[in-house]
Amino acid sequence: MKLQIKNISTAIKDIHIKRLLVIMVLWMIFMGIFRFDKFYTLINFQTMAAQFPEFGLMALGIMLCMISGGIDLSVVGVANFVAIASGQLLKIIAGGAGELNGFEILLVMLFGMAIGLAAGFFNGILVSKVKIPPILATLGSYELFRGIAIILTGGKAVSGLPIKYAETIAGKLFGLIPVQLLFFAAVVLILSYLLNRTTYGIKLYMLGTNATAAMFSGHRTERVLIQTYALSGICAALGGLIMLANYNSARADYGAVYTLQCVLIVVLGGVNPMGGKGRISGTVLAICVLQMLSSGINRFPEISSFYIPLFWGGVLLLVMVLNYYRENKQSQGGHKKAVISKYRIWVRKSG
Amino acid sequence: MRRTLAFVLVLLMVFSMAACSSPAGKSKKSESEWEIVVVPKDASNPWFIRMEVGVKEFAKETGLNVYQKGTPEIDATLQSQLIQDLIAAKVDAICVVPVDPGSLEPVLKQARDAGIVVIAHEGASLKNVDYDIEAFNNEQYGAFIMDNLAEAMGEEGLYTTMVAHVTNASHNEWADGGVKHQKEKYPNMKLLEEEPRVESEDNGDVAYQKAKELFKKYPDLKGIMGTSSYDAPGIARAIQELGLVGKAFTSGTGMPAANAELLKSGIVKSLTLWDPALAGKAMCALAVKVLRGEEIKDHLDLSVEGYTDLTFKEGSTTVLEGKGWIVITAENVDSFGF
Repeated sequence: MKLQIKNISTAIKDIHIKRLLVIMVLWMIFMGIFRFDKFYTLINFQTMAAQFPEFGLMALGIMLCMISGGIDLSVVGVANFVAIASGQLLKIIAGGAGELNGFEILLVMLFGMAIGLAAGFFNGILVSKVKIPPILATLGSYELFRGIAIILTGGKAVSGLPIKYAETIAGKLFGLIPVQLLFFAAVVLILSYLLNRTTYGIKLYMLGTNATAAMFSGHRTERVLIQTYALSGICAALGGLIMLANYNSARADYGAVYTLQCVLIVVLGGVNPMGGKGRISGTVLAICVLQMLSSGINRFPEISSFYIPLFWGGVLLLVMVLNYYRENKQSQGGHKKAVISKYRIWVRKSG
Repeated sequence: MRRTLAFVLVLLMVFSMAACSSPAGKSKKSESEWEIVVVPKDASNPWFIRMEVGVKEFAKETGLNVYQKGTPEIDATLQSQLIQDLIAAKVDAICVVPVDPGSLEPVLKQARDAGIVVIAHEGASLKNVDYDIEAFNNEQYGAFIMDNLAEAMGEEGLYTTMVAHVTNASHNEWADGGVKHQKEKYPNMKLLEEEPRVESEDNGDVAYQKAKELFKKYPDLKGIMGTSSYDAPGIARAIQELGLVGKAFTSGTGMPAANAELLKSGIVKSLTLWDPALAGKAMCALAVKVLRGEEIKDHLDLSVEGYTDLTFKEGSTTVLEGKGWIVITAENVDSFGF
């Protein structure tokens, strides 16, 4: 427990996390004053906890890629592709009767995750072996996956799924905790273990900080990149499987707004778009803040939805500008100090 | 790892503390405490901005807490989440124009399970609704287009019908309804038997080419009934180019702003449409009736123009059809804002 408190305090020292905590507390106070009875209810928190896992999982994938110095813009494409393919498999397994058992659900989920893994592996090959810039490679593969999804469905929605699947994945454990949240929590725990306790994590941060140095240090950077994009693919696949349950249907164009929203989350969470920096706790916190903000705004009929894209876009740019100035000031300050100390040494020597 | 775990724990604690602090009770509210929300496909589409005009008017007339809340973009997932938020906020009625009916079923079921009244518009396939309002019955709307065409043609002459695709269900029902109505009411008009139904492929240029071809091939042809919103404008271009203004006529569905010039220059006398403002108002009025516990049966009067004699669609207990069509002419074309 002591250790945990210490860890929390070091995390809080992180400027991004501090900023997010301030936003969250301010927003919670604000909602408490103006919409207490509409916001602080069990059902509202259950709803929020059931809503964010689908895009939260995609954001975690983007976070991994961004730490490596890249980005994965194909997550929504992967998610929809997985949801559609898994949905079609569900219909085949369940047959006309619509019967489904737990083992079959697990099988379908593994199938979906395998597709996500393959899609992520493909992205990783494009980025590491073919050396296409990640932003272009994944934008291209997004279109590719979306195209496959459209062909699989003919542009229509996959619906009429066995209700058992939605009841299981979009249900509540003990009638209280949304099952989607459990998936999200499990992935967060696994990823934080990978990032903080394994050599993979260290290699990933090194690769993101300086790819050339990492290569000359003897890391197999290509392999790390492929692993990273494959992990992102699995995260996106889980997001897609949850979407399939939430909407009890799948279509090639669901969640089109999630790409920008996830990038916003990751940057807001303090992950450096240049790579090498970022904590999973920051990303998780950013996901919660974003969900609270968007659900909270919906409590105010007076606020027109016209302002929401403006708001998100503005926040994204503002955070990046703030980060730029902070880092620049630090590095400039560092540079100045170094010059001054060199100068002093020179003065001492010559004097 | 530990750090993250601790974070998750702290968050959970905050969430659960907040969650426990308020008891969830459902009391019988008075009418002034009702909250009725209209959820369109999105907030910025001119069609739904027009709908909001009607919703605001309804709120003003009744003094009830009724408002429209849309997502910033047309997106099925966003719409579903907005409705989830509204359920969590315990609103009393949700009126929705679904982006993708299939994806809304689970969340609308949640809403109904929570005791919220659900009214839909243009979602006839939805199962988890109290009622769905359609602006009109397809056959009757076709008859209405025919009335407009007949008036322009002086109730006599050769005509044909145009649809987007012969596979499009609603367009063909309109066209069939129009032809049937002509046979009953306008004996001096005659359907072109060689080509009774042509396709515009939902494309203004194709409509234009087809119309040009038809007028050249059949010099006696006096009118074309359009169905898709691209038909009548495309046909009008052909009429203008062939110098047939005043000799050949068209009518059909069309959006006001896009066709203002055509109407004002007199090439097209009238277009037909349904007004989203009235549809929005009708949804709210129906929601209020359901909340008040009034009986909903055939010949329902919502006191909204075009929705004063709603009847159930054949074989359905949820889909109500109105007579919510409107005619757009040179005089009123600028009053819609879309």
